[in-house]
Amino acid sequence: MIQPQSRIRRSLGDLSERALAFWLLVPAALLLGLVALYPVGRLLYTSLFRRRLTDETGNSPVFVGLDNFVQAFSDERFWTALWNTLLIVLVTVPGALVVGLGLALLANLPFRVKWPVRLGLLLPWALPLVFAGLIFRWFFDSQYGVINDVIVRLGGERLLWVTTPELLFWAICLSIIWKSSSFVALILLAGLQVIPRELYESAAVDGANRWQSFWRITLPLLLPAILVAAIFRTITAFQTFDIPFAMQNGGSSFETLAMYVRTMSIENLNFGYGSALAVLMFLISFVVTLVYLRYVRGADD
Amino acid sequence: MKWDHPRIWLWVAAAIVVINGFFPAVWILLTSFKTEGELTRIPITWLPDNPTFQNYVQAFTNAPIMRYFLNSLIVAGGATLLCVFVSALAAYALARLRIPNKTLIFSLLVGVSMFPTVTLLLPLFEMVLALGLRNNYIALILPHAALSIPVATLVLVSFFQGIPKDLESAAMVDGCSRLGALWRIVVPLSAPGVFTASILAFVNSWDEFLLALTLMPSQAMRTLPVGIQFLQGEYSFPWPLISAALVIALVPVALVIAIFQERVVGGLTQGGVKG
Amino acid sequence: MRKLFWLLVAVLVMSAALAQQTRLRVFVGGQQRPDVMRKIFDLYQSKNPGVRVDLEVGGATSDQQQQYLTTVLASRDPSIDIILIDVIRPAQYLASRWADTLDKYLPAASRQNLLRQYLPAYSQANVINGQLVALPGFADAMFLYYRADLLEKYGFRPPTTWDEAIQQAQTILQRENNPNLNGIGFIGAPAEGTVCTFLLPVWAAGGDVTNAQGQFSLTVEQAQRALQFWVGLMDQRVSPPNMAEKPQDTIRSEMQAGRWVFGTMFAYAWNRFQNDADSQVKGRIGVVPLPAFAGGRQASCLGGWQWTVSDFSRNKAQAHKLVRFLSSPEVSKILAIDASNLPVFPALYRDPDILRVNPWFGQALPVVQAARARPQHPRYAEISEVIRVTTNQVLARQKTPEQGAREIVTRLQAIYGGR
Repeated sequence: MIQPQSRIRRSLGDLSERALAFWLLVPAALLLGLVALYPVGRLLYTSLFRRRLTDETGNSPVFVGLDNFVQAFSDERFWTALWNTLLIVLVTVPGALVVGLGLALLANLPFRVKWPVRLGLLLPWALPLVFAGLIFRWFFDSQYGVINDVIVRLGGERLLWVTTPELLFWAICLSIIWKSSSFVALILLAGLQVIPRELYESAAVDGANRWQSFWRITLPLLLPAILVAAIFRTITAFQTFDIPFAMQNGGSSFETLAMYVRTMSIENLNFGYGSALAVLMFLISFVVTLVYLRYVRGADD
Repeated sequence: MKWDHPRIWLWVAAAIVVINGFFPAVWILLTSFKTEGELTRIPITWLPDNPTFQNYVQAFTNAPIMRYFLNSLIVAGGATLLCVFVSALAAYALARLRIPNKTLIFSLLVGVSMFPTVTLLLPLFEMVLALGLRNNYIALILPHAALSIPVATLVLVSFFQGIPKDLESAAMVDGCSRLGALWRIVVPLSAPGVFTASILAFVNSWDEFLLALTLMPSQAMRTLPVGIQFLQGEYSFPWPLISAALVIALVPVALVIAIFQERVVGGLTQGGVKG
Repeated sequence: MRKLFWLLVAVLVMSAALAQQTRLRVFVGGQQRPDVMRKIFDLYQSKNPGVRVDLEVGGATSDQQQQYLTTVLASRDPSIDIILIDVIRPAQYLASRWADTLDKYLPAASRQNLLRQYLPAYSQANVINGQLVALPGFADAMFLYYRADLLEKYGFRPPTTWDEAIQQAQTILQRENNPNLNGIGFIGAPAEGTVCTFLLPVWAAGGDVTNAQGQFSLTVEQAQRALQFWVGLMDQRVSPPNMAEKPQDTIRSEMQAGRWVFGTMFAYAWNRFQNDADSQVKGRIGVVPLPAFAGGRQASCLGGWQWTVSDFSRNKAQAHKLVRFLSSPEVSKILAIDASNLPVFPALYRDPDILRVNPWFGQALPVVQAARARPQHPRYAEISEVIRVTTNQVLARQKTPEQGAREIVTRLQAIYGGR
């Protein structure tokens, strides 16, 4: 006599693969839908209107179709922001990957006492981003910052980090890389842990040196983790806001897309155009990520 | 990995990682014992001149830091549990089962995180208002969980894929259902992945500022980033006071990380723990 | 007789109903002394037994508050009844239909009388397009702080023109020979205060962004001269080369450590100079209105906070009553004594109780009376951004004063032209 309990369990297990897949995906879809669907829909909707809270269109938005998007294409500030954001992506994604990989490899070494190193790895991450930006602003202050203090002690000259555009860019990138390499290192470290020790041992037996076993064993096996880290680092890099915002005291000499969207929406109260910019931001990062995902798909096939 | 090089290199490696990670934290710690005037001293001081505990006293009396901490804990904890649970299910489906249009699903999943939070703010607030959930933990837990689903799912997918399929097949031959195989075999073996996803979701929620500011603004409900930001004066940014608050906020987190770092980055997998 | 009896009963029942509890919710920023506000609300509650006033405290900066309020008000949330807003906001609040104007409660004549009691700048700042959007809560202005001890040492009287100020600074710097002492401190970081930095020389030369008819009237020459003035201070070494980095509080902190001869800051700095434990300049600071240029006038930048009623409030009538109370001399006096907030009533600057606690208010009065408002426009946020970011870039030598001036005028023209 089959017990009722196992009958239920049996039928759940007997579900076709398709059905099971569906039910497994439903909770995530539901949660995402609940939180994101209405806001995203609203965003798309508003982007088709002229709606500024500083005039009458605030209460009676005017339908303008794709006008906001057309406006963006001839908006010099938009293109500058896009360019700045791309620069950040191009510099900080490889930067964070390289630094993160380095940190992960170092942290993976056989220390007797592990916790200080692991803590040092994860601490940058535990610091809320909004404060990281403010702290680095102070570090890069030309008069009171520790960076210039160290430079002067080493015999150099004070640099005006925050008010010189080129220096500002590198100060921002350094801060972003510092903060985000922690995140990359975490993912890569977990990935490193999963590589079986036996592989290294048999490679050593075969006469491979450290460098070779790194290239032939570590990197290839780490590739999936690297890609995951890369995807999210890229997406986050596109959204860069906190650090450049905090470092400029409210200025916009170096403005990213996210900064421009925020200024347009929250400060200028131009919701129509701000929404259109946000949609454009989404489309651009979507296209870039699609390229990545092709790689991921390709990698595990 | 055997270490047959001079031990000095180990120390150098450790120093690099530790200095890189601890530097700002140490600066915050030192600043928390200074007075405000000391920060604009020329030349700048590294160690406090007249160390004082006044900032800590002020941090505890000016604002209910421990209350903020508790709020952050509840929100981040709830968001993490929800997110990892939901993501594990989804990740299993994506990693193991045959699904049409996988790339599309991945894209949609990841696509959500490509919208700047600031633009989702207004409609989310309207929803929360309509549901009467303002200043309610749920109002923040759900969005935080949702925002971490993409990264948690992708991390878990890559870990699930690393588990050999034969293990599950063997279990299912023994009478286990697919779901049972998920919980009994896959999840334990991908523990590093689960812990990684948990930490990612937790810190994402812990860090988050904008939604917390707007959806749970009342003083009793504020999370740490919001509470600490509010210590700012109208014109002044009291670094010593804020540093003290940050120390109070970070020390428990650092302790948890230090205690659990074996679990977070160590493994229960066959791959084994190094060293 | 019977009818009269029932009439009385009806009246009693109605008044009982009217005397139902009304709950009003007031939003103030964290920096506005919520403790003192609470005391004021308790006072109001004791005088108006049917009303409960709740306090909601937001972030401590104008920006943080605006960020939050934008989300709340754009969603037409009825939960907040009264808001304490920055002096730069009324025009935007009116255009966004966030404020319930007070005109319906104040016939023209009484409105005239009411506004005449306040400092003139505030009756101007709160009346937009003829509508009374808010009533003043407390005042603020930008002062020229100076080291009274240093000026006295060299036999100087406080400067009334910028040329005087520069000369005095140069003399003092030369004779003192202190490498850590600087001449004239002003706000250069791209924060809101830098809007004042740009406008001060414009005003001092007799110009303004708009003319008396409200039309855009800023010329490239005026803008260029203003920008050139501050850059000139750096060129002449009266101010150090990194002014573009300095927000207001850094100047305050440095002056407190004795490193500035002159400084332009809002009123809050006074209390820090006098009362901070580590202040090196206690008792050695004086205040005067900011200097003029030849042919211009002394002017200061107006600050201060105003009370407005949310258009989404469900208790507008009661809210208005409370706002009238909050902008009354009685409350202004409490704020002056307990929170050291500058009063909005000129008469109170001579009140002996207030002067006992804040003796410097006597010196503060001429400054506040000379204060001018920043541009009143629904799109003030954009105007502010244009001015402060461009001024900052000119100070950082990323643009020349001429380039900066052209950019400011062109972009402001676009905004005023409605584009």
